[in-house]
Amino acid sequence: MGKTFGETAALAPVTLDVADGSFVAIVGPSGCGKSTLFNVIAGLLEPDEGEVRVGGHDVTGTTGHVGYMLQKDLLVPWRTVEDNITMAARLTRGVTPEDRAEARRVASGYGLGEFLRHYPSALSGGMRQRVALMRTLVTHQPLLLLDEPFGALDAQTRLEMQQWLLQVWRETGRTVLFITHDVDESIFLSDRILVMSPRPGRVVADLDNPLPRPRDLGTLIEPEFVTLKAQIMRLLHEGPS
Amino acid sequence: MRRKVLRNVGVPVLSLVLLLFIWQAVIVVFHVQPYIAPRPMAAIRSVTGNWSALWPLVLGTIRETVYGFASGALLGLVLGSVMAKVPVLQRLVYPVLVLSQAVPTIALAAPLVLILGFGIGPKIVIVAWIVFFPVAVNVLDGLSHVDQDLVNLARVYGAPRWRTFLYVEVPASATPIFTGLKIGATYAVGGAIIGELFGSEGASLAIYQEHANTNFNTAAVYGTTMLMTAIGISWFLLVIGVETLATPWQRRSVARRYRWRR
Amino acid sequence: MKLSRVRVGAVAGSLILGTLALSGGGASAKAITQVTFAYDFPGPDFELVPLVVAQHRGYFARAGLHVKIVFPPNTSTTTQMLSVGTADIGMLTTSDMVIAVGAGAPVLSVANYSMHNNWGLFALPGTSLSASTLKSTLKGKRIFSYGDTWTESMLPFILRYAGLTTSQVKIVTDPTGYDLTFLLSHRVDFSTNTNNYELPGWAGSGKSGHLSELLGTKAGAPDVPIWTYAVTRAYANAHGATVKAFLSAVKKATVWAAANPAAAAGEFDMTYPKSGYSDAYNKLGWSLTVPILTNSSGQYFTQTSAQWTSLARALKGIKLITKVAAPSTYYTNKYQP
Repeated sequence: MGKTFGETAALAPVTLDVADGSFVAIVGPSGCGKSTLFNVIAGLLEPDEGEVRVGGHDVTGTTGHVGYMLQKDLLVPWRTVEDNITMAARLTRGVTPEDRAEARRVASGYGLGEFLRHYPSALSGGMRQRVALMRTLVTHQPLLLLDEPFGALDAQTRLEMQQWLLQVWRETGRTVLFITHDVDESIFLSDRILVMSPRPGRVVADLDNPLPRPRDLGTLIEPEFVTLKAQIMRLLHEGPS
Repeated sequence: MRRKVLRNVGVPVLSLVLLLFIWQAVIVVFHVQPYIAPRPMAAIRSVTGNWSALWPLVLGTIRETVYGFASGALLGLVLGSVMAKVPVLQRLVYPVLVLSQAVPTIALAAPLVLILGFGIGPKIVIVAWIVFFPVAVNVLDGLSHVDQDLVNLARVYGAPRWRTFLYVEVPASATPIFTGLKIGATYAVGGAIIGELFGSEGASLAIYQEHANTNFNTAAVYGTTMLMTAIGISWFLLVIGVETLATPWQRRSVARRYRWRR
Repeated sequence: MKLSRVRVGAVAGSLILGTLALSGGGASAKAITQVTFAYDFPGPDFELVPLVVAQHRGYFARAGLHVKIVFPPNTSTTTQMLSVGTADIGMLTTSDMVIAVGAGAPVLSVANYSMHNNWGLFALPGTSLSASTLKSTLKGKRIFSYGDTWTESMLPFILRYAGLTTSQVKIVTDPTGYDLTFLLSHRVDFSTNTNNYELPGWAGSGKSGHLSELLGTKAGAPDVPIWTYAVTRAYANAHGATVKAFLSAVKKATVWAAANPAAAAGEFDMTYPKSGYSDAYNKLGWSLTVPILTNSSGQYFTQTSAQWTSLARALKGIKLITKVAAPSTYYTNKYQP
């Protein structure tokens, strides 16, 4: 799928082409327009110029064509875990027995089967983000936008979640755009890294991430990892060379 | 659990009994004459002893309260939602709402009786008038403070506006909405009584008390007051009960299993 | 309008003005006795004329009295004001009197204010209230009541006369309203009141024609006095001379006011300019009250055992009291001049 769009006030003109099934990380300082980019892709904002195309279709300004996750899990406290997972169906066409069965399957598959009738308040932060990702997955959208989803978690949980995300991505084959300001995370997860400059946000570098998959904790100390990291950090602190 | 019930029910009952003791003590110690104020037991007996005559009057007051409350709550929900969704209307309507509450209920009653007669109409209007304001204000408040990220997420899912309203915004406002309903419930019965006092066809609880007053039946006067208070409290507890049933997530970690929900 | 509890007009203002005016005649050689008089209604109206005249023309002063008039918050509190001592002498309806005595209140009637029962059923002009058609005229109709004890005692006589039971008519009770408003707006079909209040009210409404009137006495109600002056027994025992002086002054004032009704009404208007009633209303009202102040022998004040017994029996009949007490429990004439 491809993506081309122009500018909004927080974002300088950006042109982006994303390959099916790839994992693209977007790194940049706060306020560089990363979230604005996501909002345009999701259809919440209309770009001043340009267009958004997903799977060959022009979806500029429309909604309902991506999966979306934020740092806040945004689970509704008045619904159980199962009902939260089926939220998208409830908000669009209504919940069917198949939706509920799938929610149960996904939850059990990822270790939360016992918590289906729990309310979100009874879950830890990490568990809640897992539920949020499951909710996003069952929308069956080919493109997922994840905006710093693990930013509010402690380092240990974050590491677990990153490994779990990679497992899910491997199993489902979706295309993922992942925003983070954690350089380690961006390298650990992605095939391709976009580095953005401060406001107005501009893509200053488009780096290929050659590290082999599957990745584990050992990857974090590979020489190529460190090299890539140094390169990205230089770009972030000094601008394009 | 048992200790909690004991505390939530036992303590208020105990303080009520204490109040009755003090009342009795004052009557006895100060030699208060029965035509000035009755003893608590006399007041209670005036209700229990005349229950067959009082029961239809109580039903009448309950009917006025329920219909009035339902109308007022519905009006408040609609008005609050409309004001939340249409800012122009909010600016226009909100000051009028506040003005409506500045009108003393008693001043309202007389013209209402002239317009609507002596039937149940004026009572329903008065109760609705009292109830709709706290409900409208709280609905507006709740709907105005829903997490915008959640609303945006619903939009990203492609949710139409009405589904977002029904499944996100309204449940998110559950707490303030019930607050408004509880406030309205507390004052609803008082409104019904005022309406009855300003004109009743046949008998009503307020007129029964009025007759007791002119007939020096102080026991019945106090007894009817206790009865009216009991109706008010019961209605309030009923609304709390509905709230408890409707908002299980505020008290539980795990939802109950319902047989109809597969 | 008398039987209701509505306060018309700026009573607070007239209250202050009234008490100021009535305390004006205090300078006298004799020792002045303070007396607090409680009216039977929350605001002043023309039945207060005898007291106004007694103050205005110096009858109280000459009797060595300084009378302060107070108004109860509603029509049923006068008895309680007497019982707790907030007032020394008061004006009550005789029905309230009988019920109060039945409830154990130590009140005693010392003089009739008026002698005759001028209460009745009223309807818009053109409505026939003749006995032959009364049953069909009243059946199923809305009859207004102020909810007071006098109306409660008298209405059954009208219904019995018409051959109807209470369930066959719709009695609309509103202690706070004004009966003529509802009659004129057709919210009720019939109204009840005493004619000295109803007729001036009708005259003031500007409508043409005369109200149809069916007096309670015509329907078999006892022709007994409606209003009375009362004290507590304790006060009478302790201050008998004061009660006598009070009644003597009021009698002189009543006689004068009956002989000079227009002037007497004028004095009321001057004392209570903000009573809420027009001068014409007060003049007509007082002139309609004068004829019922004396009995068949031309006497003022004099009470009879018969009047109290027949009233008590009527009240017992509708279960407002449980037993008829001895007449001496209700009244005495011994403080009258």
